[in-house]
Parts: sequence; structure tokens; C-alpha cells
Amino acid sequence: MPYRLENNSYLPIAATIEKILVENSQIKTFVLSFNNREFNESFSYLPGQFMMVSIPHCGEAPISFSSTPTRPGTIHLSVRRAGVLTDAMHELDEGAVIGLRGPFGRPFPVDQLQNRNLLFVAGGIGLAPLRSVINYCLDQEEGGYGQKLILYGSRTPDDIAFAEDLRAWQQVDDCRCMLTVDQGSPDWQGNVGLVTTLLDAVDLDIRRSMALVCGPPLMIRFVLAKLSHLGFKEKNIITTLERHMKCGFGVCGHCYMDDKLVCVDGPVFSHADLIELDVLELRP
Amino acid sequence: MAGLATTFGSGAMTNSINEIENSQVILVSGSNTTDTHPQVARRILAAVDRGAKLIVIDPRRTRMAEYAHIHLAIRPGTDIPLLNAMMRIILDENLVDDVFIEMRTENFHALRDMLYRMDLQETVSITGVPLEDISRAARRYARAQKAVICYCLGVTQHICGTDNVQNYSNLAMLTGHVEQEDTGVDPLRGHSNVQGACDMGALPAVFPGYQPAADPEARAKFSRAWKTELPEKPGLTLLDMTHGGPGGAVRGMVIVGENPMLSDPTLGKVKKTLEGLDFLAVSDLYLTETAVMADVVFPAASFAEKTGTITNSERRVQLVRQAIAPVGSCLPDYRIIMELSGRLGFAMEYDSPAEIMEEIALLTPIYGGIYHDRLEAGWGLQWPCTDRSHPGTPFLHKYSFTRGRGHFSPTRHLPPSETPDEEYPMILITGRFYHHFHTGTMTRKSPTLIREGGGAIVQVHAADAEVLRVRNGDQVTITSRRGTITVQVEISDQVSQGNLFTTFHFAEAPVNELTVDARDPRAQCPEYKISAVRIEKAGP
Amino acid sequence: MNNTMSDKNILQKDHLVPLLRRLNKDYRMVLPVRNSSGDTLFAEVETLDGCRIDLDSQTLASAKHYLFPQLETLFKYRISADGGYSFEPVCEAEPTIFFGLRSCDLAAILYMDVIFLQKTKDPYYLQKRQNAILISLGCTEPFANCFCNATRSGPFLEYGFDLQFTDLGDRYFVETGRVSGGEIVRRYSHYFTPASEKDSKDQYQASLEARGRFKRQVHVDQATKRLQAEDVPESIWTELSLRCQDCGGCAYICPTCTCFTIRDQPCSAQEGERLRAWDACTFAGFTRMAGGHNPVQHRTQAIRKRFLHKLLHDVEKHGRSSCVGCGRCVDMCFGGVDIVRCVAMINELQ
Repeated sequence: MPYRLENNSYLPIAATIEKILVENSQIKTFVLSFNNREFNESFSYLPGQFMMVSIPHCGEAPISFSSTPTRPGTIHLSVRRAGVLTDAMHELDEGAVIGLRGPFGRPFPVDQLQNRNLLFVAGGIGLAPLRSVINYCLDQEEGGYGQKLILYGSRTPDDIAFAEDLRAWQQVDDCRCMLTVDQGSPDWQGNVGLVTTLLDAVDLDIRRSMALVCGPPLMIRFVLAKLSHLGFKEKNIITTLERHMKCGFGVCGHCYMDDKLVCVDGPVFSHADLIELDVLELRP
Repeated sequence: MAGLATTFGSGAMTNSINEIENSQVILVSGSNTTDTHPQVARRILAAVDRGAKLIVIDPRRTRMAEYAHIHLAIRPGTDIPLLNAMMRIILDENLVDDVFIEMRTENFHALRDMLYRMDLQETVSITGVPLEDISRAARRYARAQKAVICYCLGVTQHICGTDNVQNYSNLAMLTGHVEQEDTGVDPLRGHSNVQGACDMGALPAVFPGYQPAADPEARAKFSRAWKTELPEKPGLTLLDMTHGGPGGAVRGMVIVGENPMLSDPTLGKVKKTLEGLDFLAVSDLYLTETAVMADVVFPAASFAEKTGTITNSERRVQLVRQAIAPVGSCLPDYRIIMELSGRLGFAMEYDSPAEIMEEIALLTPIYGGIYHDRLEAGWGLQWPCTDRSHPGTPFLHKYSFTRGRGHFSPTRHLPPSETPDEEYPMILITGRFYHHFHTGTMTRKSPTLIREGGGAIVQVHAADAEVLRVRNGDQVTITSRRGTITVQVEISDQVSQGNLFTTFHFAEAPVNELTVDARDPRAQCPEYKISAVRIEKAGP
Repeated sequence: MNNTMSDKNILQKDHLVPLLRRLNKDYRMVLPVRNSSGDTLFAEVETLDGCRIDLDSQTLASAKHYLFPQLETLFKYRISADGGYSFEPVCEAEPTIFFGLRSCDLAAILYMDVIFLQKTKDPYYLQKRQNAILISLGCTEPFANCFCNATRSGPFLEYGFDLQFTDLGDRYFVETGRVSGGEIVRRYSHYFTPASEKDSKDQYQASLEARGRFKRQVHVDQATKRLQAEDVPESIWTELSLRCQDCGGCAYICPTCTCFTIRDQPCSAQEGERLRAWDACTFAGFTRMAGGHNPVQHRTQAIRKRFLHKLLHDVEKHGRSSCVGCGRCVDMCFGGVDIVRCVAMINELQ
């Protein structure tokens, strides 16, 4: 006897790709809205959370929001080509329909960011979730945020993504962007070196600052170490981790990190949270 | 198998698999046992837990080798000198089993003379293994009360494969480690039911039960039963057929459950041969690389869709029962063969696999007491099982070898058909990984095995990788005199410097484009284990 | 509600099969049954005639797959030409009585309740669980590899069952745990008589004696303490990893292993099913991400992860080890990488 299932958290909701923004050869930002208008209007999330994205015949993968809820109506998911599902997603056109489940995960502690200087350190696609919280803060004038410094490392100048946002952020008062690339090119006149090298130029008042870091595991390791060295307290360094996920809400077991689940206890963690755990990103 | 047949008179495992647990010394050679025969590895690990000592002979540092007390990492193709060295040491240190040699064997003098005339240091240096380690292994093996030798394709897939096996038999007879419970020589078959297929005469020169086609009595018996004249001369071997060339004598083929377009050596020759046939029919579960070339494809039923028996390495015949109805229009192989045979003018009428088994029992002495109803209850029967009341035979050669006395066959080192030279400086070893089975016809359809088994890779030693300037995950081309493939690198400490290892599971990196077609003259087993190749970083 | 039935009753052994037969008319029944190969497994029983119920052997597998199937369709999906992408959930659940569950297997179900019924409830598990009536049979004679005393999941439980049976030789002592259990006793009250003082004493005696009959002493708590103190060298994990042959059998047979993967299975260009299937954390692909990063170094860390999860992390998260002491991994594992050996190795350290 079949049952109607209420509250089935495994069931995706249909959403249409309204627009595709090509960030670079590997990354596209998909601007989406849910097909059900009412649902779209009532949908809410916070920076740092993620959606489980369904592509027909490909299964699902977790993708963080790169948009901010302060600009409602659509959501942005920025996706880097890395495997079967993301490759398939990159082949889709505007107007295509995908499935979404969520929002899942613990968001950035936006309350803690108020009245603080903010240092954002991003590598590659890691800028995507930070874009969400950067724009969230910039949209909230009453947040009392202090100096905002965005450090962004890419592999090569061609890999620099979110160019429009970087330009816009540079225009904002008290907000500065510094870019670097691992490998330069003949036209590139900016910094060359890992993003950790930019940390030497940080001149914020560390005691009144929070750092938010996102990028590949190796980058996170080195940046967190250097931030501690610069004087950031561990509880004031925030990062967000990537893991292979299937359910998104703590049942399937794939994202266990000791006794924590990255999809439920994270993906946003402070360095202090992670110190106790055996974590890839922190392993020497 | 040919090797054991010459020395012992019978080509199968002398012990049962569970007896391995009771051994005191286990010598594993050319077998990546944990990956390919987990049930045997289980017994080996259990034996080691109980205090047994494990000696592994393998050019690669497999899991079994890591687990071993002594790992002899020989240069590929040097089993004969290794064993000759071991036997010489056993002779020198007086660890032979005189009584056994005297009472149960013949031709010992020939072996002894050859070993005494041999230069031990020179022999040892061919193997690349220190004398110290060889001595330790020899002593351990010789001194044990119960010792077992398990070998697999690393021993047989050489041009001297048969001689290799004979030398292992020599070693076992020299030390009296055969012919009792918990001790003996145990070949592990490369494919489930290879034993059964051989038992049923899927070999060029024998009828079922290894009754020779050349024997007039055997021929007469089968001719009477099948009401037709049967040939006296041997038929063709596998490579005679698939390497015969486009103008060869064979004009038509029916290939059943085999994928020579991926699994046979020197694929270039296979392709030309199959393309040149007038007619090709293939019977298989899926449309394999071979099936796509066929004029007619018969969809065959899988193990779950048919009833029959499988005979394993320890000669155990077990009943496999149909669990679901054949899906779609597929048929069990026996039905396909019957249908074909009828249309070719030789009517066969068997109502069921059980009826076929009855005829097997009637005509095949070693299967004489094996019937489906006897197999229903319990765990099957081990041949020889000569009549309905016979309980089966756990270990062979209990009181005497099948051929009477065991025959010592001294052998000399035969270098591989291809050795490294300036143009092709590395040795390519081919084999299997854990998660995939052979050409992946079935396993590459399972999502979990695909996830775990990954894609085609070649194991490269770190020092070689550095010279080549390749890192983990880079693409390389491997080229031999016969062809070239592109494959991903995995830097691994399992291979020694100068050696490479890859598998034949992946059609997109068909390693048998590279392998030699030289084979052992008696067993006709191709030398899959050694090809000379060069390896280069692939273009962007 | 009929208040004359107490929560402790007696069922004469002769009346067990008649009761089961009666229950079978009203419910789907799952019982331990011995099949023609001599193996005892939980099986759905259509009719009790010709059915060899076996209450003397340990079932080869637990009843896990009835509430959490090895392969389960979550929903069907369909892509339509006009760009539609729709989803149709699939879930069937029938009121089922599980009879003859051992305490360990029942304790495992209670653990599964914790995993699947968190803040966000798993609807597929929930449906089957809500429709399940759990009747356990406490073990008066532990089996060869059992150690439920060490994991506090047997041989008898205090709660969690709907009914708990104790074999007192000629009769069963039947304790009511949850409401559904009481319902059964009430609805079929003519099979039961209230238990006497002596019956209760006999039951207590049987449960005490059972505790003395374990053939293995496995010091789970001690191992947990050592793990908490981080007093365990890498060499233990290296040795266990070397023995592991990566078959996943431990996770599949373990009553408390609940990890699963989800994938799409296309049926045609427009349609398919989203399935979930059991998975094992000892597989390399369990944690490997697209792009190849793997936060768990398979060769050396996968085994450690598994045992730390059972013996340490679940203690920290849920207050108790998730091992229920059923001992099935001991027989299952090809390489002897079972939790009993692991605990022994940890405790053997100086």
C-alpha cells in the first residue's frame, strides 16, 4: 500500500536557469529561480549554506550559494567543472530546468561579523561562497562593518573569476581587493605568488577583525596557519569546507569528520572548531 | 597444468583450499592472492595467525608480499633460477626428504647432478634477489612439516610457464611436501570454472576428463556415445585460432563468453584474424569489443538465470541454481549450443542440465559419481569421484602419484621472449586489480565497482617517474614493438624500478596491444607477464 | 482499554505457533526461518505451514534491510520535452510484526532510529518504522561470537521492544514494552495468562544466568577509554588495514551500519529512478570528491575511521558505542579485521 510522503527532504524542487554568467573557462554562475512562484517568493537562506543540485541522470552534488539573500528573487550557484555532474551542468542552456534541495548547512556567523573589520581570503572557486557573505555585508549598512579587505588568488590571469564583483567591490568605501596569480602572463602586471603572500600586506587591526577563508584544502591549511601567526584568534578565523555529500542533512554518513557532519555541523567552521578534529585541511 | 601433469600426473590443486589454514609454511608465487583469490588469502591469513610463515615470490610488492615474512622480489621471468638456487641450498644443507625421494619419485639423479653443476652465485644474480633471502626462504620451506605452494598466473604466463611449474613440483618433491593432508602444490585458477572447462575437454587434445583424443579406446567410447567419428589429431590452441591471420585455415568461429579483442595478447593480430573471418558468432551477456565484430550475436543467460555446475581450483564441483527467469530473449549456453547443433545437422536432445550431467558421469571417470541430486545437499563434490557412493577426494596423490612415481624434471633458465633494450628499456607486467574482473564486461556495469575500480592506470616507480618528469595523474604513452596505448600514471611502491604494471580491465587502454604473442610451447599460455616497452609523458 | 491484562504475561510454548498463525492473518510477519541450505535468516512468511521457524540459531543477517533496504527507490523522475523535470516519490510500507529479534538486533534498530529520525526525518525509514511491531527474544544462551553484555545491548533489554520474550523452557515470559506490544497482548489476550511471582523470578534468574554464558570477553569500554586518551599507536591501524580486503562486508552485515549512497538510474532518455544503496566507509570512493581529493587516505585511514566511529565518535555523539555485540563481523571478514580483534589489539597495548 503506497503512502504519500509528507516532508520528503530527498525530493528536489524544479528550478529554471534564468541566466548563465561565464566567469572563466572552468566556472559558470547559474542564476536560478524556482518554477513555483510562491515557493520562490518564500524561499530564504543565509550566506554559507548550500543546495543539493540535481541534474537529470547525473545524481546530485552540493553547491554553495554565491548570491546573497539581501537580493531576493533569484539565487546564484557558481559551479566549477570537476566531474560528471558539473560537466553536464555546464552543457545546459538558459531555460533548462534542474532540481534543487535545501538550503542545508550552518551559515556564516553573520552576527559575529558586525562591527568588525573583515578579511576575506579566497582561492579559485573558493571566492564563490565568500561572494555571498561579502555582498550580504555590503548590502547591510547597519551592520557597522569596518575595513573590508578581499584577497583573491587564481592559478593564472585567465582564471580570475567574478571580475564584475571585484570591480564593484573595489569601488566601495572601506573596501579593497588585492589579486594574485600563481603563474603570470605577459600582460599581467599584478602580483604573482600564492595568496598567502598577500597576507603580509594585511594592515587591519587584527584584534578587531574576523577572517573568512575558502579555497582548496592545501590553501586553507597554509592560510589558516599564517593567520594564526599574524595574531588572529582561532575563533575569529572562519572557513567553509567541501566534502563528498549525498543527502545534505546528516543521514548518509559521507561527510563525517570525526563525530561532526560537514553538512549539518558545517560546512562553515571556525578554526577553533577544527583544531580538535582530524581534518584533511589541517593535516601537516 | 601441463607442468603438474608431467611431474605428478594430474594438473589440479593437490589439496583443498581449507587445508591451507593448517600449513606451517606457505609459499605463494605469482599470485596477488588478496586481490584475485580472497577466499584463499583468507586461509593464508588465518594460517599466519596460527603461526605459519609466509614466503611470497613476486616482482611486485603486493599486499600479500607486504604481509609476508619473506618477500623475494625477483626480476620478472626468473622463477627457474630462483628455485634452482633454493633447491641447491636445500641439497647443500642436507634438508632433502631422502625417504620420500627414494620411495615416491624417479629421476632424482638428473636433478641433483644439474644442481651440483650449477654456479650458485651466477644463478642467484639472474634473479636479482640477495642470496641471504633465498637461503632463508629455502630453509624455512624445507624444514616445515607441512608446507604448501600456491601459484597463479605469475608463474604460468611465461614462455617457460610449464617449466616453471615443473620446478615448483621439483621443489615440493625434493622436500616431501606433497601427497599428504595440508601439504602440496596448489595452482589457483585464473577464472572461475576454468577448471571445469578444462575438465570437460575444452582443450585441443583431450576429451572430457583428460582422456586423450589419441587414445583409441577413449575415442571409441565417445564415438559410440555421440554416434559420430571423432578426430584423433589435436585441434587448435586459442592463439592458433585468434592469431591465425586473415588468410588462416579457420574460416568461421563461434566465441562463447570470451572477449579476445581485449584479453588475448598482441591484439593487432586478433583484430586482423577476426576481421578476416567469413563468419563470426559471439555468445555473451553484453555487447563486448568482440561481439560488436560478429555477424550474429546470441544473448546469453548469466549465472543467475541458469542452472549448472562450476568447478573451482580445488576440483570442487558445485551446483549453481537458477534464481530468476532469463531476462528478455537470452538463453543458457547449453540451449544455444543445442539449437545451433541441430541446425548444423547434429541433433542434441537434453531436457535439462541435470541430464547433461548424467552423460558426463557416464563418460568421464573422474566425474563418475557426480550428479545434480548429489550436489543439491552440502558443498559439492571434489573429483576424482568415480561412482555414486564415492565421497569425493579432498587431496590428491595420497598414496602415490597419479602417474605412479613423481618425476623430477630438471629445468634451466630460459630468458623471456623479449628483454629490455635501449629502445624499449622497461618491463611491462600485466595483471588484475581487485575491483574489476577481466575485461570488465560485467564489473564495469556496476556503479560501486566503477566508483571503486576507477580508470586505467599504470603503476610507475617513483624514481622512474622522476626521470620521466611525470606526476601522479599525468597521462603517459606506453609503446612496444606491437602498439601503443595512453594511460594515467599512478606512482606506486608496489613496482620495482624498471618495471611497470597495468591491468587489462579497461577497453580504453587495451594493454594487449602491447603484449607479445610468444607462448609456452606445451601449455600454449601467452607470455602476458613480460613485454619490453618504453614510456613517455603524453602530450597536453 | 482492557485493564485486566498486565504488562507481564505467559505464553505456553505449545501456543506460540498458533499465535503466530493468528497474527499472520492480520499482519505481514517476518520471522527467523531455516532455509533448505541450512541457513537461518529473517524471512517474510506467507504461511506458517511447512515453514521451519528457527529460534535456536543466530540469524546470519540482522533485520536491518527490512527497515533500511539494501537498494531502495526514493523516487522516479521524468524529463519532459517542454523542459519539465518532475519527481514522483515511491514508498511502500505495510504493518509488519518482526518476531524473534535478538536484543542486539533490536538495539541496532533503536540506533537506526537515532540516525534516521533526527530533526530532519527520513520519510522512507519513518514509514517502515511506524509500521513495525518489534517482538524480541532475549538470549538465554549467547552464541559463539556474542558480546552484547559489553555493549549493553543484551542479552535482555529494559526498553525499546514492543514485546520481549524470554524462553523459560516450557513457556515464554512476555514483557510489554511499548504501547503496540500491549495492544497485541490485549487483542489476542486469550493466548496469554498473567505472569506469576515465580514466573518473574524465573525470568530474572534466566537473564542472570545468560550473562554468565558468554564465550567471549570483549572489553569495549576499555578500548573506548584508550581511544579517548589518544593512547593508540598507528601500527594497529596499519596492521588492520593490511589485512582488510576492501570487500565492504563488515558494513553490509553490521546491524548498525547505515551509510548509503544515492544515484540516478536512467530507464530511458526521459525517465529514471533515484536510488539509494548501502555504502561502506571503508571504500575509497566513499569520501573521494570530484576532482580526486580524498580527505581519507584509503590505505591507512579507512579502517581507523570505521572503528573510531563505532568505538569513540558515536560514544561522544550519542553516549554509547554503536556496536551491539552481535559478533557477525567476526565470521564475515576475510582478513579478520573485525571489531573484536580491534578491541583486543587496542587493549593489549602496554
